[in-house]
Amino acid sequence: MIDSLHRIWGLVVKELLQLGRDKLLLGFVLLGPLLELLLMGGLAGGGVENLPLAVVDLDRSRVSRELITRLDQTDELLIKVYGDNVAQAQGWMQDGSISVIVVVPPGYGEALTAPQQSAKVQVIADGSNYVVSTVAIATTENVAAEIVQDLTARHAVASGGPVELRFVARFNALLDDRPHAITAMLGLIVYQVTLIIASQSFTRERELGTLEQLRVTPLGRLELMAGKAIPTLLVGLVDCLLMLGVIAVWFDIPVRGSLLLLLLLTIPFVLAQIGWGTLISLVSHTQQQALLFVFALAMLEVALSGFMVPAGDMPGVMRVLSAVSSVQHYLVILRGVMLRGAGLRSLWLPGMALGGIAAAVGTLAWLRLRLGLDTNSLSRQLQALWRIHQRERRERQANRRARGADVRREKKPRQTRKPAYADVRVESGE
Amino acid sequence: MRRFVSILLKEYRHILREPRTLWMVFLSPAFVLVALSTIFVSGSSRIDLALWDQDHTPLSRQFAGALSSDADFSVGHVSDYEAIEDLLVDRRIDAALIIPPGFADTVQRGDTAPVQVILDGVDTFVAGQATGSLLGHAAHFGLALSRQLSLPPVPLQIHPRSAYLSDATERDSMIPGLIPIVFSLPVIAAALALARERETGSLEALVATPVRGLEFLGGKLVAYVTAALGGLLPVWLVTTVLFGVPLRGNPVLFILLAADFLLASVGMALFIGNLVRSQQTATVIALFVFFVPGFFLAGLTDPIDTTNLASTTFSYILPTTHFVTVCRALFLKGATLAEVWQPALALLGLSITWLGLGALTFGKRVR
Repeated sequence: MIDSLHRIWGLVVKELLQLGRDKLLLGFVLLGPLLELLLMGGLAGGGVENLPLAVVDLDRSRVSRELITRLDQTDELLIKVYGDNVAQAQGWMQDGSISVIVVVPPGYGEALTAPQQSAKVQVIADGSNYVVSTVAIATTENVAAEIVQDLTARHAVASGGPVELRFVARFNALLDDRPHAITAMLGLIVYQVTLIIASQSFTRERELGTLEQLRVTPLGRLELMAGKAIPTLLVGLVDCLLMLGVIAVWFDIPVRGSLLLLLLLTIPFVLAQIGWGTLISLVSHTQQQALLFVFALAMLEVALSGFMVPAGDMPGVMRVLSAVSSVQHYLVILRGVMLRGAGLRSLWLPGMALGGIAAAVGTLAWLRLRLGLDTNSLSRQLQALWRIHQRERRERQANRRARGADVRREKKPRQTRKPAYADVRVESGE
Repeated sequence: MRRFVSILLKEYRHILREPRTLWMVFLSPAFVLVALSTIFVSGSSRIDLALWDQDHTPLSRQFAGALSSDADFSVGHVSDYEAIEDLLVDRRIDAALIIPPGFADTVQRGDTAPVQVILDGVDTFVAGQATGSLLGHAAHFGLALSRQLSLPPVPLQIHPRSAYLSDATERDSMIPGLIPIVFSLPVIAAALALARERETGSLEALVATPVRGLEFLGGKLVAYVTAALGGLLPVWLVTTVLFGVPLRGNPVLFILLAADFLLASVGMALFIGNLVRSQQTATVIALFVFFVPGFFLAGLTDPIDTTNLASTTFSYILPTTHFVTVCRALFLKGATLAEVWQPALALLGLSITWLGLGALTFGKRVR
């Protein structure tokens, strides 16, 4: 046991030395995440703001100008141009210079103030970006609701509709976009760094020819895996802590729940990536292939992570698949602990799921390692099994023929056959 | 020229001889696009709502019943604040709606009855959707009630319409936007192809041959750009045939701009491949540059915000940003070159810049 720990320690030291030697790599692994977080947090933090708006005011009354001013005063919309007619405005939308068109029809002012009429305002949003069009339409609807409310207050009758909704947002009173986006970035950055380092572990050794040297050391398979995993786990946890610090100090989003719980639940998340990475590095011939596998896997995980579409809204098959996406569970945990202040009582399910994924992928990687360090070892093993099967069949046939020959002893003796297994070379597994 | 061709052939052989690499460079963009796109359902998503009716009158039940029968909401009933708080922390609801006692009396008096809505503020996009749907619902209910109780109609109505999308599906808008992102795969392969030569030492052997630096770089560039262009066909088929998003613009223009985008991206990748000594470093940098920013900075969901200078600059340096604009304009809007000249010019400028930088740094290292 002590010996085993000693051997693992040796491999860990070697991996850390190798990491420290490449200054550019070390810098990118440790500072890259922070830099990227600052860069992207600054941008994605704004959310959807100042969408360029074209106004086609066919009413030109005091009331219609009030509507336009209110639209301009929202954070989401910014008037860029006034158009004379809808066709002209649609031309601007076609070349992408504006995203929203608001058309105030003639007679808007009268219809708004007349008791038995409704004023109708048309809003055309650029549907080529779904987020833009959804936000633009929601904003104009909110402005319309405000105007109706003011009218109601002015006339002191409930003409604004009998029901008024009063909104309160929990966990994020100002409905700031940043916490949601930044937690997603934190999860994805930890994900990419750990997966990449893990996926290069065996491939790099193979490509540089040092894998053969590792094979002749007394390291066992589990020791080999552990020695490769520990440095990656360290890097993942350090990156996570550094970024949490930046998020708390720079972006002013403190961790509401228990930091210890968050770090504890980060361990199975990173272990799952190490499992995937090791698996990838065992089946890739070159680092280039490993990277491409990583990228394909990462795209799938991002798709299933609920970052673009909440997992509950996905179609059936993908929703089932999203249960095995570690990023999805980790984002639930991150947002739960950081933003909602959730404890283990609310997060045991995603926590268990992460543990399960890590265990399953780790086992797969270990099984693959048992087959051997050669990328083709799976097919070699199968070939070897097939040859053994063939040899046994031929032996059985030969035995049967031999027995037949016994019965018909009187006939002329058969010429001696070569042993059936003479042409079978059994591969030495690995 | 002959030396250039032989480098080109060598690169093709590298791509072709491994079935895994071949698959990754040609088919993986289409495969990833399918996976990324199937997560979008056509149509809007449901909002999980907890409803607490404190009024218990026929009118409040009518309001609640109207919400339950609406396809936008999936409604569950609760009867205290703790339950709402627990459901919010456990992420089981997007919003909670509380109808206060005296709701029916107030409405029947002709006054406005307040209804409390508690939103889960973590995902602001979902919160915004919930706000919009509930407001629309309240207005609709108010209209129906006012007809019944002969109150005046709601004075201001918004008629929203999404241009370019017949039924405003999220999927149709996302698929063209995702095309540039799935092409990061073959692009990154190019960065590694260069770093590999340096790491395994075969670059030194190449330096000893009469191949010039530019011929070497050009061969790699052309090999990976053409290979990725080959991968454009399956992506195109997936987009138009499988997901039914037709290319409304000019196909030749699309291919030309795709080639321009790939030149810029591969140029950037080769520049990265030049700077580093090991493939591991190249991988880490390539992921930092192409992977997460592709989703967050390229304007795929949130449009580029021009208030933060550093982030905006980075967004515009990425070829992906411009090609996202081009793909959406060509597929959904049927734009012509006159309408996409800005991103097209930006792509051209970027490809010249990155290729130039690549050539400059490379020359120094080899000679």
